[in-house]
Amino acid sequence: MEYLVFRLYGAMASWGNVAVGESRHSAHYPGKSAIAGLFGAALGIPREREDLHQNLAQQYRQAVKVLNVGTLLKDFHTVQVPDSAGKRRYHTRRDELVVGKARLGTLLSRREYLVDAQAVVALRSCEEANWTLAELCEALARPKYHLYLGRKAFPLSAPTAARVIGADNFRSALDHYESPELLDYQPEWARQERWLPTEESCRYYWEGSLDDFSAEDGEFSAGSVQRLSRLDQPLSRKRWQFQPRIENLWQS
Amino acid sequence: MSRFIQLHVLTAYPPANLNRDDLGRPKTAKMGGCDRLRISSQSLKRHWRTSELFQQVLATEQGDSLIGTRTKRQGVLAYDTLLELGVSEKKAKLWAQKIAEQFGKLKKPEKDNPLADLEIEQLVHLSSAEQNGINALLKTLAEEGREPEKAELDLLRKENMAVDIALFGRMLASKPTYNVEAACQVAHALSAHSVVIEDDYFTAVDDLNDRSEDAGAAHLGEAGFAAGLFYSYICINKELLIENLGGDKSLADRAVAALTETILKVSPSGKQNSYASRAYASYVVAEAGDQQPRSLSAAYLKPVDRYSEDYAHDAIDALQKQLQSFDNVYGDCADSRYVLNAVTGEGNIKELLAFVSE
Repeated sequence: MEYLVFRLYGAMASWGNVAVGESRHSAHYPGKSAIAGLFGAALGIPREREDLHQNLAQQYRQAVKVLNVGTLLKDFHTVQVPDSAGKRRYHTRRDELVVGKARLGTLLSRREYLVDAQAVVALRSCEEANWTLAELCEALARPKYHLYLGRKAFPLSAPTAARVIGADNFRSALDHYESPELLDYQPEWARQERWLPTEESCRYYWEGSLDDFSAEDGEFSAGSVQRLSRLDQPLSRKRWQFQPRIENLWQS
Repeated sequence: MSRFIQLHVLTAYPPANLNRDDLGRPKTAKMGGCDRLRISSQSLKRHWRTSELFQQVLATEQGDSLIGTRTKRQGVLAYDTLLELGVSEKKAKLWAQKIAEQFGKLKKPEKDNPLADLEIEQLVHLSSAEQNGINALLKTLAEEGREPEKAELDLLRKENMAVDIALFGRMLASKPTYNVEAACQVAHALSAHSVVIEDDYFTAVDDLNDRSEDAGAAHLGEAGFAAGLFYSYICINKELLIENLGGDKSLADRAVAALTETILKVSPSGKQNSYASRAYASYVVAEAGDQQPRSLSAAYLKPVDRYSEDYAHDAIDALQKQLQSFDNVYGDCADSRYVLNAVTGEGNIKELLAFVSE
């Protein structure tokens, strides 16, 4: 079976999670909506084309291997906006802040960001998929819109180095993919464990059955797999709704 | 034409507190396991788009059809046009006022200037698209001899796209039809080196305290600050920008050049009265191409050594090496590049602006 495998690294990232009101939390690894959105951007699908986005979210199965868990950072964020009372409509942001100065109010939010995190993602396509893995791979290499890690302010800090590879299952696809080194110069410090340390054990998240991930061997057994539910299966963009999705977690 | 214009910018700020958290201390982030100073992308964008420079560069030549006009006199203009089209004075004034009102608050009537209440209190920047929309509407009104309807006045704003909204987008949860996808991506700026935030313990003296009773200070306070050499990354999607601007490529070119100049020269304004830390960029790499954009922040995963004798040199060196190393490993990451180095004096802003607005 074929898999599209690629690496996601940026100095900062934030993966959508259930967020109500002032606090905007981040998950520790990219979810379904994030990956579907990434390919939507790469292919240049406008946000209104819900049918195409649904295809991306439903017709591909994904697995994630977390290379670096990273740490969480809390950001205190303020936005100044004038209230909308009166007839005035502000033409530009400058108008809002300069012309509407007397009416300015502040919105607060607390956001969680991930720093020093790195992950490898593997994608498998289903029968009804609109795009082949090779087409998705090409789209990543020459994207139509910006690619980003959960928020637009978090760009990729290394090419995704996407490749289509043949493998028996998710685990072998993820483990056989060797992403080019992030830092191929200054090897004496790149090896220093401090800057971006290799995790002692790796977390794998995947959709589907145990067989989709790996055949049982010495270290992998059904008993060590956790079933998780995450609210990240896009249902409607207009209504901003997500469905729960079942995922498996195995830690090497 | 290249789809993406990427800017990698190094700017050195002396001790300052440019962007604050909820405790009033400078914002930080970890990278490569070390604490860095941070300026949020939101803070950077706010200062760029509200800066005088950005406005000026986009609206220097009055009447230039590409860049719109800044005027208070839109109502007067509409009034004159209506009179020329044969509308009576009374009607012309009423209709012109309705149009002018769309752009701002009208001035109060004056005794010796009958047209004063046709003027708007502030300068308004009108795009050429908007101007054309007004002219078309005036013609319709004169032909049909009626006053503008509410829906028609609404259209005046919808047609137009301000350059800063085209670049940085707009999201209105309540009115998604007005949403605009930002054509410019701005990363949080991080310091190339690790930092420790320092505490400035300060006192303020009361000038009228004659020390007859006590010689104490009138106010005590503490403020966090730090100096940093920041790496900023900006990626502009030229194709999307042109689309946002209704296909106006030359306006998009000017917008990119204006933004680039602003990025190089405008600093966040946090605590400027205390620190006067304004700075111009010291080093810029501009890239153009359709390849997958990527930032070069990995250059500073290992922070510039704190025993370094020359931060600017080491930071530039690391950036160049990272750029080269990505090219070696992944193939060329851009079609063409332009480098401006204000440390050694190579390159100049004129050529850089010509490169990005090609």
